[in-house]
Amino acid sequence: MLKSSLSVLSLAGLLALTACGSNSNDPANAGSASPSASSSQGASASASASTASASASGPSSAIQEGAASMLDAVKQLQDAIGKQDAANVKTLGKSINDTWLSFENAVRQSFPLEYTDVEKYEMPIFSASAYDKIDFDELKANADGLTDALTKLQNAKPTTESSSELLNQAVVKYQDYIADQTSKLVTQTQAFVDAVKAGNADQAKTEYAKARVYYENIEPVAESFGDLDPKIDARLADVDDPNTWTGFHRIEKALWQDNSLEGQDQYADRLMTDVKDLQAQMKTVKLEPKAMVAGAMELLNEAATSKITGEEELYSHLDLVDLAANVDGSKTVYLAIIPALNENNTDLADKLDQAFMKMEQSLSSYVKNGQYVAYNELTTDQIRQISDQLSELSNLMSQTAAIL
Amino acid sequence: MESKQTGITRKDFIKMSVAAGAGIALGASGLGAILGATGNTLSASKTTASAESGDDVIPLYGEHQPGIITPQQTYLYLASFRVSTDSKSDLVSMLKDWTKFCDLSVSGGTMMTGDNPLVPPTDTGESLDLPASKLTVTFGFGPSFFRDGGKDRFGIARLAPQHLKDIPRMARDNLDPSISGGDIVLQVCANDQQVAFHAVRNLIRLSVGTASLNWMQEGFASGTPGKTPRNLFGFKDGTANSLHDSADGYDRIVWAGDGEPDWMKGGSYLAYRKIQMKIETWDRTSLSDQEATFGRFKVSGAAFGAKGEFDAVDASKLPADSHVALAKQTKQQIHRRAYSYTDKVDPRTGNVDAGLLFISYQRNPDEQFIPMLRLMQSKDALNEYVSHVASGMFACPGGLREGRYIGQNILEA
Repeated sequence: MLKSSLSVLSLAGLLALTACGSNSNDPANAGSASPSASSSQGASASASASTASASASGPSSAIQEGAASMLDAVKQLQDAIGKQDAANVKTLGKSINDTWLSFENAVRQSFPLEYTDVEKYEMPIFSASAYDKIDFDELKANADGLTDALTKLQNAKPTTESSSELLNQAVVKYQDYIADQTSKLVTQTQAFVDAVKAGNADQAKTEYAKARVYYENIEPVAESFGDLDPKIDARLADVDDPNTWTGFHRIEKALWQDNSLEGQDQYADRLMTDVKDLQAQMKTVKLEPKAMVAGAMELLNEAATSKITGEEELYSHLDLVDLAANVDGSKTVYLAIIPALNENNTDLADKLDQAFMKMEQSLSSYVKNGQYVAYNELTTDQIRQISDQLSELSNLMSQTAAIL
Repeated sequence: MESKQTGITRKDFIKMSVAAGAGIALGASGLGAILGATGNTLSASKTTASAESGDDVIPLYGEHQPGIITPQQTYLYLASFRVSTDSKSDLVSMLKDWTKFCDLSVSGGTMMTGDNPLVPPTDTGESLDLPASKLTVTFGFGPSFFRDGGKDRFGIARLAPQHLKDIPRMARDNLDPSISGGDIVLQVCANDQQVAFHAVRNLIRLSVGTASLNWMQEGFASGTPGKTPRNLFGFKDGTANSLHDSADGYDRIVWAGDGEPDWMKGGSYLAYRKIQMKIETWDRTSLSDQEATFGRFKVSGAAFGAKGEFDAVDASKLPADSHVALAKQTKQQIHRRAYSYTDKVDPRTGNVDAGLLFISYQRNPDEQFIPMLRLMQSKDALNEYVSHVASGMFACPGGLREGRYIGQNILEA
């Protein structure tokens, strides 16, 4: 299938979108989601300089031209964002994506590290172009990030590292991601817990969905700390004694099934303690490439078993939120290991790229008003389609361990 | 895509499969030397006597597909797929993988290679140490393979065979679309259920991303060799097959030819009906009523007015609405290859869902099968005890030549 035929709405973008509310409320989140604004001006300036001085050992002319053309469009996008011109923002988001699709394969193969950076900021921009609601702050952060990433790409040098060095770099990258997600989890869980304790059920429901994303992105790593995962994420069916049941799903039941937050303070406090404990433990963890790749597989298996069946979010039916977060967490690993995959199996990287695109495109079609539709609103055929795409993705992902 | 002339060879396939992450090794099938070339260690080979003796192997290649006039094996899996890709090359690649897997499996081989412990095993493994067990895989293509909702997805609509269409509505149909039809059907049969399941399971695995499993049905048929197997009503099923048990007979009844596209010559139409039997009611029916319903004696299988199972049937001696009388009235013959099935208990009644996976092969269903079915569903005394719950019509291409893949004559015509 032609890549360009897929009008992909990226998952990362959707997540950014669902997280919009929290970002604007929460300075800490906004800061970690984007590079500092001050760097962007310098980046724009150096961009034009580097276009002129591309060397033979650097990116090919096709990549240079593509990057220059994108930088141009991003500048216009930044103007449009400044004017809050939604129509223009959408048009530019789409054309930036078209340009990226025209040369991204070459970038992925020659400059995988730079590729990952561009992809990270480009996809949310493209996604935003498809929605009725635009968060201009979020978009500005991504536009600035994209400018930096494209500038780096123009100055990129071909990698000379060995596979094992590339893998170690991938782990470092992934550890940063884990730390970032954990910190967002703590912040967002606090917002959730506050709403629960304030007895504000509507607010708590909104915050719940946002917090789940960060947990589901990094679940396999969280699971490596013995009893913390069950304390935070157990479902009623998982526990030996229902009286000892704690965590997100305990409060989920109170919110969506019991329709009462009475007596939930203790669970809210407990959850906050456990999530903070998780963050403390996460800081001590030293990941190995093997664990990272296995974790990516675990995420997809999770998605393909408890999420696709609607068992995970039994009361809130937010299973698609979790499923998308699982996929996104897995994709983060994929993006991190692209350099190593390129060394061993570019074909697999190409296929994974396609499969993630298909998956994301499919999931994006279930976003209504910036939120995933509830699991119980999906038809069997729709669930099956998502499941088939997950199978395809998992099959490919299960082969990535061959690079280890 | 490979050209018509070269086709695929085992060696090519191994390379291709390794690249795709599904390495294939040959077991006892005698091409171990190739493995040396790929650098893989041959880690498993079939050592059982029956796998080596060859009388347990039904060849994949020949003028006709196996599993059609092959004497019935004990176990059946019938699996229906929807092609989910729009890419013809992806479809071709899956059909090549399927063909290669069949080539290996029918001779007792395995996809297992010197597996990398970090990735999933290439073969699921449950058939290791089991004999070939007369495994056959028969491929059929449904109407939607050629034209899906009016769309000619793969540019092959012009190659649809002349009699391929869904079985039209019949009186008393109680069909469940979720277990009916499909773009591709695989009829997998073997004398060992685990061998049969291993095949269907790995064929499903190889389809991921290209085709989606619609439904799967398992069945069994037990009979003493040389004797007609009995269905769950206790009656012999397939007695009339003996009437055309000759090369001439099969040409006349089973093998398609005249007016068909080239790929269908030597092929056949598979008609499928899942027929639920109300066995509890049947078991409370007197022997004479049971026999009158069929028009045959239960134990001997002889028609009313005849002595032996295979004696000529005199329709005037049979009750007019009996099953055999109606079948004979159409003056048509089909080649029956039915299996029985059992499934869940209906919680409301305690009745067991059991019955017949009616499968018949014929060269022209419009002439041989549809009129017979229509007559039976409207008049058959058996209707009181049965309900047709699923349906399908598939065109099974002619036999496969070694080095070619199933469906190649359609997709590369």
